[in-house]
Amino acid sequence: MDNRIAIRNLSAGYGAVRVLEDVSLDVASGQTAVLLGVNGNGKSTLIKCIMGMCKPSAGAIEAHIDGQPHDLLKLTTEEIVDLGIGLVPEGRRLFPKLTVEENLLLGAYRPAARVKRLANLDFVFETFPRLAERRRQPVALMSGGEQQMVALGRALMLEPKILIVDEPSVGLAPIFVARTIDVIDQLKRVKNLTVLMAEQNFNQAIRVADTGYVIVHGQIAFTGRSRDELNNSELIRRLYLGA
Amino acid sequence: MSVEFLINALAAGLLIGCFYAAVTIGISISFGFLDIANISHPAFVIAGSYAAYLLNQGVGIDPLLSGLLLTIPFFLLGCLFYDIYFHAFEQHGREGLSGLAFFFGLMFIIEVVLIMIFGVDFRYVEAGYLNSTWRLGFLDLPLRLLIPSLVAVLLFVALQLFLSTTFQGRAIIAVSQDPSALSLLSIRPRRIKRLAFGLSVASAGLAGALLIMIQPVEPSIGREYIGRVFAICVLGGMGSLPGTLIAALLLGVIESLTSSYYGPAWAPAVSFTFLLATLTLRPRGLLGR
Repeated sequence: MDNRIAIRNLSAGYGAVRVLEDVSLDVASGQTAVLLGVNGNGKSTLIKCIMGMCKPSAGAIEAHIDGQPHDLLKLTTEEIVDLGIGLVPEGRRLFPKLTVEENLLLGAYRPAARVKRLANLDFVFETFPRLAERRRQPVALMSGGEQQMVALGRALMLEPKILIVDEPSVGLAPIFVARTIDVIDQLKRVKNLTVLMAEQNFNQAIRVADTGYVIVHGQIAFTGRSRDELNNSELIRRLYLGA
Repeated sequence: MSVEFLINALAAGLLIGCFYAAVTIGISISFGFLDIANISHPAFVIAGSYAAYLLNQGVGIDPLLSGLLLTIPFFLLGCLFYDIYFHAFEQHGREGLSGLAFFFGLMFIIEVVLIMIFGVDFRYVEAGYLNSTWRLGFLDLPLRLLIPSLVAVLLFVALQLFLSTTFQGRAIIAVSQDPSALSLLSIRPRRIKRLAFGLSVASAGLAGALLIMIQPVEPSIGREYIGRVFAICVLGGMGSLPGTLIAALLLGVIESLTSSYYGPAWAPAVSFTFLLATLTLRPRGLLGR
C-alpha cells in the first residue's frame, strides 16, 4: 500500500525567527528518508510541523495513507497519529513512573492499535528481549539505551504505517547508536514501514538511508537519491567529514 | 483498660479509616494524578450527603442506593467543573494560585448554597439497618459504620482496577507526567483529565452518602475534612491509591486510639505529628511513585 509524505515549500518559525524556509521533501512509500543536519538547523521543527505541533507560515504537508491523501495541516496531533503516523520524539518522552509494559500499552490506545495490542506486545518483546525481562520495572530506572527501546516499542504499539524518528542517537553510547539504527532498519523491513529519521550522526544514518536530505540553516542544501550520492557529496564531506 | 477496649478501638479506627479512604480517593485522583488541588472536594462530599438526605426524606430511597445513583450526576458535575477550570485557568497556564482560589471559592459557594436551602441544623438519614449492631463476642460492629466501610473498600477496589487495567486508567496515571506526549499516542489529554476529574467528584458524591449514614451532617462539616484528607493523600504518597488506603487506615486507627485513651482533642495533633514524622523519613509518602 501507498504510505508516503510530501512536503512542499514549507516555511515556519517562532515569532520573527525563521527556522524553515521553502523546504520541499518526499518520504517515499516503503523507504527510509534521512534528514541530516547539525543541531539548530530545523530538523525538529520540520518534524513538529508534520505532527501538527507547530503551524507553518506557508507551504503544504500531504500524507498518503493506504493511498488516501490527507492534508496534515488541517489535522490535530491526535488525528495525525490516528492516521497511522507514529513519532519517536526527541528525548523519548516516556512516562518515567510507569512500568515498561504500561508505557508500551499506552501506545495501543487508538482503536485500530487496541485490537492488535497482544500481538504487537509480543512482537516488541521479541524484538527487544531486554524489555521482556524488565516489563514490570519503572522506566525511570532504565538506561538510555533501554529507554530508547521502550520509545521505539511504544511507537510500534501504535500500529503505524509511517514511522518518524527524531534523533534516535542522542544520549546513547556509540555501540547503542549503531544497534538502534539497525533495529529501525529491520523494523522497516519486517513491518513494511515508511520511515523518516532525523539524525546528526551522518555515518550511522547513511547506512540505512534510501534518500538523504541535508538541511542547513532551515533550507534543503543537498538531496541524495542514493547512498553513493550521499557519500560522494562535497557538501557532506565539508559538513561532516571535515574534508 | 482492657484488651476488649483496645480491640474495639482498633476496629472502630479501621472502619472509620475505610471511610476516610472513600473521601480521600477523589483527592488522590485530582491532586495526585492531575495536580489539581481541589480544596472544595469535601464540600462536594457534603453536597452528596444532602442529596442523599433529600432522596431519603423526600422519596424514601435507601441512602446506600442513592449514593450509587449520585455518582452519575456528580460525575457530570465534575466534567463540567473541569471544563470551566480548563478554560479559565489551565489553558492559560494559570492553574497554580488562581486554580486554588477558584476551588476555595467554589467550596464557600457550595457551603452557602447548602446553608440557604437547608439551614445550619444537623440532618440525618433513616434506614432500618442503621440502628443495629453486630456483636462478634466482645467486638461491637455498628452497621452504620460497617456498611459504609465495606462500600468504601469496594469503591477503592473498583477505582484501582479501573486505573491499573484499562487504557483510560493508564492514561490518567500518565497524564500529569507528560500531557503532550499523550497527544503523540493519539490520546487527548484534556479528555483524560476531564474523565479523571469526573470520577473524582463522582466518588465525592458516594462518599457523601456514606458520611450521612455514619453521622448527622451540617453544611460546614466538610471543613473538618480538608486538612485530614490532604494529609492522608500526601502521607500515602502522591499518585498511589494503595498508599491512600493504607494511610487512611493508619490515620483512622491512630485517631481512634488517641481519642479512646487520651481524649478526642489530641487526635489531630497526634495525626499530624505522625504525618510530619513520616514525611521526614519518607518524603514521597508511604507508597509514592
